[in-house]
Amino acid sequence: MARRHYPSSARREIVEVMTNSIDTTPRPAVAPGSAERGDAVISTHGLRCSYGSFTAVDGLDLTVHRGELYALLGTNGAGKTTTLEVLEGHRTADAGRVEVLGGDPTDRGRIRPRIGTMLQDSGLAPELTVRESVLLSGAVSGRDDDVDRVLGLVGVDHKARARVAQLSGGERRRVDFAAAVWGTPELVFLDEPTTGLDPAARDALWAVVTELREAGVTFVLTTHYLEEAAENADRIGLMHRGRIRREGTVADLTAGSTTSIRFVAPGPLDGLPLEVARTENDLVVIETDDAQRDLGALLGWAADADRPLARLTVHESGLDDVFRDLSRAS
Amino acid sequence: MTTVTRPSPTRSAGSRRRSGPLAIALAELRMLVRNRTVALCALLLPLGFGALTYAFDSYGTAGMLAGVQIIGMVGLGVYVTATTTLAARRQSLYLKRLRSGSVGDAGIIAGLVLPVVAVSVAQLVIVLGVLALREPPVHAGLLIAAVLIAEAMFAGFALATAGFSTSPEHAQYTTMPLYLITLGVAIWWTITGADDLLWLKRILPGGGLMELITLAWNGGDLSLVSVLLAPTLVWAALGALAATKAFRWEPRR
Repeated sequence: MARRHYPSSARREIVEVMTNSIDTTPRPAVAPGSAERGDAVISTHGLRCSYGSFTAVDGLDLTVHRGELYALLGTNGAGKTTTLEVLEGHRTADAGRVEVLGGDPTDRGRIRPRIGTMLQDSGLAPELTVRESVLLSGAVSGRDDDVDRVLGLVGVDHKARARVAQLSGGERRRVDFAAAVWGTPELVFLDEPTTGLDPAARDALWAVVTELREAGVTFVLTTHYLEEAAENADRIGLMHRGRIRREGTVADLTAGSTTSIRFVAPGPLDGLPLEVARTENDLVVIETDDAQRDLGALLGWAADADRPLARLTVHESGLDDVFRDLSRAS
Repeated sequence: MTTVTRPSPTRSAGSRRRSGPLAIALAELRMLVRNRTVALCALLLPLGFGALTYAFDSYGTAGMLAGVQIIGMVGLGVYVTATTTLAARRQSLYLKRLRSGSVGDAGIIAGLVLPVVAVSVAQLVIVLGVLALREPPVHAGLLIAAVLIAEAMFAGFALATAGFSTSPEHAQYTTMPLYLITLGVAIWWTITGADDLLWLKRILPGGGLMELITLAWNGGDLSLVSVLLAPTLVWAALGALAATKAFRWEPRR
């Protein structure tokens, strides 16, 4: 699991407050990022959901293991939200099998006390204070916790008496997160958790997630911030048109993708020892499977031929490229 | 000191966990008082209506006045207020948030509606108490039963009407037809009594209830109670049935 760096003292201070004195009484857990997987806490087979004639989820097979952070990403309208709603128990599937924590997610009495949910739209009541909102969420969650501890965890304890209506969008998301992790549930759904958060608050939230994972909590994440998914998720499922089209670690998903060297040369490319894949206006693009070797060859050629290269970059294909390819396909 | 995982079971004052429905009800009461528009609709309008009926006291008997007061006040305080509140809570996805927890639908509904009902009952105690000082009801037990049935009937109507009210503003319109019909039937009863179209009055919403309240307050032939209860209970049951069919927890997509 990659650890973040906190370059400013202010950010470091926030994270330290949020992770101070960690209770290390974990439930059976798989270490974050570990190759070893726990038992399945989520399992769907042939999940299908429709809205009228529109099929939002079309035969989805998904397994999430205990202790892992699974990121469900997808194009707009891919069916992520509908999938999450089924897993959270907010709607029933039209067909297929769904099992969450070994039971039916709509079984509120048995399953819900073990699940924390951070909805995409918070649904917090503007007339209530932050403290009242978190206490209410805690009361309906079926779990016990201490409201001051939870507010301190997300750094909104100084706003405890403020009405929700007075909070910024980012502060509301932090209250949402506090409500979701109230009582340390076994499984937490995070739907766009960092939307509206500033970078320091994002880091702080992910620091808490990391610590909770070390205590054995499983997370299912949806986000439009691909870099967050890439950095924090153990596995990623890419949804498109109701199905998971690709799934695996970031390395799995980006394996086999190309690296490209791009530059602008001030003259003809005579004698260039590399094959030009394409040109984009003046920009020359060379695709390579060994960037160091080919970059050396390019620089050698440029020096010998007296061609000072401009706008020279090496671009390694990442998750965003995989995502774009998926969007373009079909 | 902040810990990421939940602490050991020692609890501070902030860690007491109320039952889900009770916590929802307390939150609802707080919101009701803090939102000026809702407070006006739920607290002041029904009381104002009750007070106004004294100013225009031309209802003949104390029982008829009590009937108009109960139907008018519960209609405003429970039906209009609860419909508006439920539409607002659904629109803001507050209902969806509540459904993310472990409390069942019935518990959530109870938590949302009971505070409004409790406020309505308190208002009736005040307004009817003033009337009782002038002329006490003959059958107080029957009157209490009639009030509870009125509360249940209008709560059922509210859940059903909230199902097709897309916003709190929309709810101000969608509640008017049924509210005006029930109040209109009650006023019709005060004007014509048992003379004209008696059976029609009894089967219309609010008609049987109005006659029941009049009977409870003024006294009279108690053998009529079952005849008057039946249509009122049917309307309450229809409201509950419509609620189970029409009520929605989330905005339409």
